[in-house]
Amino acid sequence: MKSLLVPAFFLLTVGVGHAQQDCERIVQNCERQLSESTDGSEFISDGQVYTAFLDREKAEFKTTFFGGTTYRISASAGEKDNYVIFTIKDPQGNILFSNKNYRNAPYWDFRVIETLPVTIETELDTDLKVTGCAVMLIGFQR
Amino acid sequence: MIKNPLKPILFAVLCGTLLCSCDGDGSDNQDNIDDEVLDPNSSLNTVFDGKIFSIPSPVQTAYLIKSLDLEFDGTLLNDEKNVGNYVTEYKQALNLGIYGTDLGYSTLYEQKDITMRYLGSVEKLTSELGLDAAFDTSFLQSFEENNNDEESMIRLMSDAFRQADNFLKHANRKPTSALILTGGWIESIYFACRLNEEKPSPDIERRIGEQKQSLNSIIDILVEYNKEGSNDELIEQMRDLKLSFDKVIMTYEYAAPDTDKENKITTFHHSLDIAIDEVILQEIREKIEIIRSNIIN
Repeated sequence: MKSLLVPAFFLLTVGVGHAQQDCERIVQNCERQLSESTDGSEFISDGQVYTAFLDREKAEFKTTFFGGTTYRISASAGEKDNYVIFTIKDPQGNILFSNKNYRNAPYWDFRVIETLPVTIETELDTDLKVTGCAVMLIGFQR
Repeated sequence: MIKNPLKPILFAVLCGTLLCSCDGDGSDNQDNIDDEVLDPNSSLNTVFDGKIFSIPSPVQTAYLIKSLDLEFDGTLLNDEKNVGNYVTEYKQALNLGIYGTDLGYSTLYEQKDITMRYLGSVEKLTSELGLDAAFDTSFLQSFEENNNDEESMIRLMSDAFRQADNFLKHANRKPTSALILTGGWIESIYFACRLNEEKPSPDIERRIGEQKQSLNSIIDILVEYNKEGSNDELIEQMRDLKLSFDKVIMTYEYAAPDTDKENKITTFHHSLDIAIDEVILQEIREKIEIIRSNIIN
């Protein structure tokens, strides 16, 4: 039994380290998407990195979009740019946006006229990828 | 039969090598899923999983303050000389959030001398918290080189805080990350309350009321990452603050958004009314001042 503990621990350490490296690469994809611009305008990061290891479940979190601001949500789960589906819901549960309707676009901008508390759901498009690290970044500009 | 003691190690190295040989692309194949990953009790999931929390950037409130043509008020800031008093990780993390907001505020108002002094406080705390990689010499150099462009400075600062957040989350130091976010949030509400007390403004009053959901997230994050009860007192104070925020009435009315597919932009057209009176504002102001005072002193 003891002899199995060493490889199990090693495997776990290597596996976790490897998955973290993957996540790190994905963060870089998101950063690139956050800074993509056609008109020279740039988004300022909200200072956080939203990471989840997803399988067939959704990750969900609440945030507030302040009025008079344009936000960008950037999401990635690997080399291809259409693995992640993100959906924005209002306080009544109405779906305000889902990138699923736009070929899982990896980033999208949101012009917010009045402040809005929202729920953001993130999941993998299981037709393309079943499990893995998903990363989301939020940027804003006034 | 003689047991080879190297056998398990060789086995592990072989398995580890196989695992490493699958790069990010390999994991894209939906048929190729490690059982360990699918096991909800796997420690792989423990490392990456957990709840996700989002706290809006405190810089956004600083932008609002500046847009209202309010003069810079240096008395709002936590004295940079206090930085040496923070010796525990708990205090260092909370005050890093506070100094980060101070830095953003002074940067936006182009207060160059103050900005550089507060950059020194931020640098000291990040170093003590082991976040040198995010606030390294390249960041400091870029920040100083751009000292005539506050937008670039804010962007550099926000990116550095994001890198620190990423580092802490990957290093299993989410409690520290939570405290930095909490400190930043408290400082931005403190600014809004103090400035509104001096010169009442419907825009600032509204911004204070709009923090209702963020406070819920702050309480959740402090509870989730309450390492050995270290957040107990702060949680109690934040729950008391929530009693005042619960009196803020938010009335939301849905309206269909419209989407410009070509430019990848969606505009929201809902309405959100916020009812907050002077009594509630005073309660919030008094409570936030006590909470902040406990953190900075």
